[in-house]
This record gives sequence, structure tokens and C-alpha cells, in this order.
Amino acid sequence: MSDNNIVFAMHDIHVEVEGKEVVKGLSLEIKRGEKHAIMGPNGSGKSSLVNALAGHPNYVITKGEAYINGKNLLEMDATARARSGLFLAFQYPMAIPGVTVANFLRSAVKAKHNGDDSALKDFRKELMDKFQLLEIDKTFATRYLNDGFSGGEKKRIEILQMAMLKPLVALLDETDSGLDIDALRIVSNGINASAPSDGGVLLVTHYQRILNYVKPDYVHVMMHGRLVRSGGSELAFQLEEKGYDWIENEVFQIAEV
Amino acid sequence: METIVSENRAINFRAIDKFEPDWLYKIRKTNWQAYNQLPLPDRAQHLWRYSKPEQFLSANIDALMNTLPVLPKHINGNGRPVSDEYAAIGYNPDDKTTLTKMSEELKQKKIIFKDLYLATRENEDLVSKYLGRLINHNSGKFEAFNMALWNGGYFLYLPDNAVIEKPILLNRHAGGLYAISRLLVIVGNNAQVTLIDDYSGPYRETSGNSNGVVEIFGGESSQIRYVNIQRQADNCISYITQRAEIGKGASIYSIFGAVGGATTKVNAGTILNGRGAESRMYGIVFGNESQHFDYHTMHHHKESESQSNINFKVVLKNKATSSYTGLIRIEKETANCEAYQENRNLLLNKGTRAESIPELEILTDQVRCTHGATMGPIDQNMLFYLKSRGVSHDEAVKIVISGFVEPTIAQMPGELQNLMRGLIMNKLEGAQL
Repeated sequence: MSDNNIVFAMHDIHVEVEGKEVVKGLSLEIKRGEKHAIMGPNGSGKSSLVNALAGHPNYVITKGEAYINGKNLLEMDATARARSGLFLAFQYPMAIPGVTVANFLRSAVKAKHNGDDSALKDFRKELMDKFQLLEIDKTFATRYLNDGFSGGEKKRIEILQMAMLKPLVALLDETDSGLDIDALRIVSNGINASAPSDGGVLLVTHYQRILNYVKPDYVHVMMHGRLVRSGGSELAFQLEEKGYDWIENEVFQIAEV
Repeated sequence: METIVSENRAINFRAIDKFEPDWLYKIRKTNWQAYNQLPLPDRAQHLWRYSKPEQFLSANIDALMNTLPVLPKHINGNGRPVSDEYAAIGYNPDDKTTLTKMSEELKQKKIIFKDLYLATRENEDLVSKYLGRLINHNSGKFEAFNMALWNGGYFLYLPDNAVIEKPILLNRHAGGLYAISRLLVIVGNNAQVTLIDDYSGPYRETSGNSNGVVEIFGGESSQIRYVNIQRQADNCISYITQRAEIGKGASIYSIFGAVGGATTKVNAGTILNGRGAESRMYGIVFGNESQHFDYHTMHHHKESESQSNINFKVVLKNKATSSYTGLIRIEKETANCEAYQENRNLLLNKGTRAESIPELEILTDQVRCTHGATMGPIDQNMLFYLKSRGVSHDEAVKIVISGFVEPTIAQMPGELQNLMRGLIMNKLEGAQL
């Protein structure tokens, strides 16, 4: 991994969930400053891929390699991956009753700086700035994390965490689902404002609509555990127009030949 | 280790005490006889399925019978002043002595707070009327033992309308010879008080055995907060029975926080004896190593429109065990009572064991009552969520446990929240997670 311009790379990644292979050899490179989108129908393995990359114990990477900033991702546990700059915005964020949003973020910011308290010097002010960025009411700081939050509120809090933790590589797992059009715009602004110029974003989605706001440099189509097509942002519009069947048929026909 | 003591011994027991009033002697004698006549509880018996009764027998009966507590002398005005945090404090400077101090303000409000032993002589009318009314030999063998041999404790009396803003702190010596204590609290109509009953016995060479009884009487529209903290040394064995009886429109919040001791058996209950009376109970138990906790709670609704709510949380680690049984009894003649009970158990590893048994005796249809229990390990998805933010495994476990108990802590009086958080954090720091 000598190319310093590549911030995230994976080669021939295979993922198993409960003994079943759901990602069947997937490769992708993200250069600094790039945004990539992976689109695909339900069950294509998109969420499994990003959960496995973040280190979820139920998603086992059985084969392949992955690197963040030149460091071997697969040698690290979930904590170390996060500290190396990897961030996963969850499709279904967990509620953690009894832990306030502010305290949770304080622990996370401190952990990211290896327990250094001085990282918390401007914590309060920064938190309030990010609340403003994502148009979240201040009272959420003292509410228990995701406990009783609506789907849209949870997604805003995910991007709030991204904004606070300033990851090098952000994996966004269907961050657009469950958002109305105003919330989509706000969350997208948050993603754009937090995306690091020297890092990368990998956005996983069903729909093209978020890509109007978070403009990808590359769009990849994932089906049956593999990337079957890659292109520029125009690919997303073609998908929107023709549906996933279009690609399914083409890929299928090629395979027939 | 059956203890058989003859009638003569009971009389001998009396003979050493030339100071106690007759009425007290009679109660002690009745209870002493009952203690000796009552068999050890059968393990199949209600409340005895989860703890061996033998362990609560005192190994030091002879010494107990031949020793009297030291009567405190003039305490107020001497020594340390009461700190700003508390309206009054009670403590044990040594094994045999109970001291109390209270602010001038409390004295002016005609509040009585003193060593219970002293109160049996100086406030005989009040004490003789209430002592043992809720807990006595009819409650069980170990309650009879306490009534017969108690040798320390506190007496608190608030006249009608007396309000104490700051809490009263009671330090309780536990373990050792002289840990048979009673707390008697009488709260007048419209009176308000917060009591922190802090069992914090030091480590002893031989395992300490303590037996505590708490009786609380709340008048009409009184507001009482009773907090029982158990943070004794690792080898203490304690047996605590607590009852509160509250009147019309009165409310009591009872909080039980336990982190210490080898075995802790607690039987706590509120009798709602007036229309619209309200009782809330909160429990937080955190056990590790081979600690055992056996908690029983009781809410007895005797009058209409009374409300009760229990939220009991248990965290267990290593080989720690816990049993929680919660009785709700609602009498037939009542209407529109509400009773809720929730018990949640977080089991940090295999090898821990928890029991949760709701006991509902509801004799009327006009009632709202729910109960629920959960039991299980920390949700792996929760841990992963925290770790995916860079938090270490151990820290993630701590955050989840703190979060598990936090909603209960948040219900406590403000000044106690940090104490309770501190106890949990200390335990978390000490425990290998």
C-alpha cells in the first residue's frame, strides 16, 4: 500500500453471516477526497459489507484484505479501526438507555484521542455548533442516546457523531432511508461539511435521491455479493430510470454468453 | 449450629440490665422466647428459597446477652458540628456507642433525633407506642432475635408540619458483635424528611453478621425519602427487614442500593394505609465475585386510590447470585389502586445467576397492575455500537452498565445521585470486566 493517495482499499473481500457467504469477493479503492456510492437492491450484501469492515463480530471476513491509510484494517478490532479513522453511520442505530448524547460523545471523542482529556477542551462549544449544523434541538444533548428517537432523529445523530469524530473514512449505511426531503437536505449538508478533504466517503444506498446532495465521484452497483458495474454519477441516474433489473439482465446475459 | 437457650437464660439476659423500662423488658422477653421456640425457616418456605437461614444466626449470643450498649452522654454542643450537607448525622464512634448530632434549626422545630436506646427512657410514650408495631416476633425468627437483643439504633420523630430540607445521615456499624440495630421513624402529618441509612461496616477478621430492622410511620400527607445503602466489607452477612406504613395522601420513596457484603438479605415493604397514598421503590444491586443478594419487596394496598411502583435493577458479575421476589397485595375493599413492578437483571458473564419472581395477590378487579422482568447479558450490538466509535471494550461495558442503572439513579434525590454513581463506578473500576 505504497500509494499515499489511496485512503481506503479493499481487495477480494468475502463476508460470511451465520455461515452463509453474503459478500463474494469485492474490491474497491478510494482516493483522498473522493466520494463513492454503492447502490444495490435489498439483500445484495451492502450492509453486511460495511458492518464487516467496521468489525461487527457477526459479520466475518473470511478472505481478502482491507487497508485504511495504509494500515491493515483486518488486524484491528472494532475499537482500533475506529481510532484509525474509520466511521460507520448505522442503518439502524442502537438505543443506549441511560447514556446521554453528550456523555456518549464525550466518551467517544476522548477515546478517539486515546483517553486524552485535553481533547475535550472545546467539546461543549463544538457540540453546540454541530447541533446547529444538523438542526438538532439542544435538548437532545441530555436525552438518552437514540432512546425513543424517531428514525430521522437517529440519522441526524449519526451524522452529528461523524461531524464530532471527524473520521478519515466514513461508511454511511443507508443514511438517507427514513428521511423526508428537508431532513435529507440537512443530513446531506452535514455529510458534506464533515467529509474530510484528505479522506473518503463510502455511501451505501438504494436510491439515487441522496446523490443529488452528496455528489459521488463514483457509483458502484452491488448485486449478489459482488460489484457488477462501476461508473460515474450518471450511472445512478440510469439506475433510477431503468431499475436494477436492467443491470441484472445485462449481467445475466453476459454470463450466459 | 442450632442455638438452644432456656427460659432462664432469657431472665438472665434481663438481669444484667437494670436500666430498661418494664414495657421494653416484656417485649424483649416475648421476642426472646419466640426466637428460641421458632424453628429455623424451612428452605421451602416463602422468602427462604434462595438463602440458607443458618448463616443469619449469631455466633456470639453469650457476648450479646451480657453486654449493654454504652449510653451516650451529652453530645449536642460537643465535638464536630453537623456538616452543611446534612441536617443531622448519627454515627458509631466505636462498636458500642451511637452518637447523634443535629442542627439548632431541628431542635427549634421540636424534632427528636437520638440513640434509640436513650429514647426508650427519655421518650418513653412515643417509643413504647410504636416500637415493634410493624416488625416483631410475628414477622419471623430473625425479627424476633432483633427485637429481643437489639443494642443500637436511632430514633427520629418529626411533629406535624415539620419539614427537614437537608437529609439526615445515619452511619450504621455492621459486622462485629454489636450490629443488632433498629431504626424507628415517626413522621407527623404534612412533615417531610429524607433519611440516608448507610451500612458501611469495616472489614473484620471474622465474618460480620448484622441484623437490622427499620420501622417507619408516615402521617397523613407526609413525604418521606428513605435510602438504604449497603456497602459493607466483603465478608459481612446482613439481614435487614424494613417496613413503612403511610397514611392518607402520604408518599414514600424508598431506595435500596447494594454493592457490598457477602450475603445480603433484605425484606422491604410499604403498607399503603390511606386513600391516595403513594410508594415508589427503587433498587440497584451490583454484585461480583461470590456475592449473594436476596431482596424481597412488598407493596400492600389497604386503601383505595393508592399507588405503588417498583423499579429494581440487578447487575451481576463473576459468580454473583441474586434473587428478587416482589409481592403486590391489593385488598378486596379497595378501588382504583395502581401498582407497577419492574425487575431487570444484567448478567455480565456465564456463572452468574438471577431469579425474578413476581407475587401478585390482587383481590379486586378495580385495579391497574403491571409487572415485568428481563434477564440477560449485555446486548452485543450495543457494545459494537460503542466500539465502532473508538471506545474500548472495557469502557463500553462500563458505559452500558452505567446506562442500565442511570435511569433509576436519576429518580433519586439530587444529593444522592452522585453518591450512588460513585458507588457503582468504584465497583466498576474494581471489577475485572
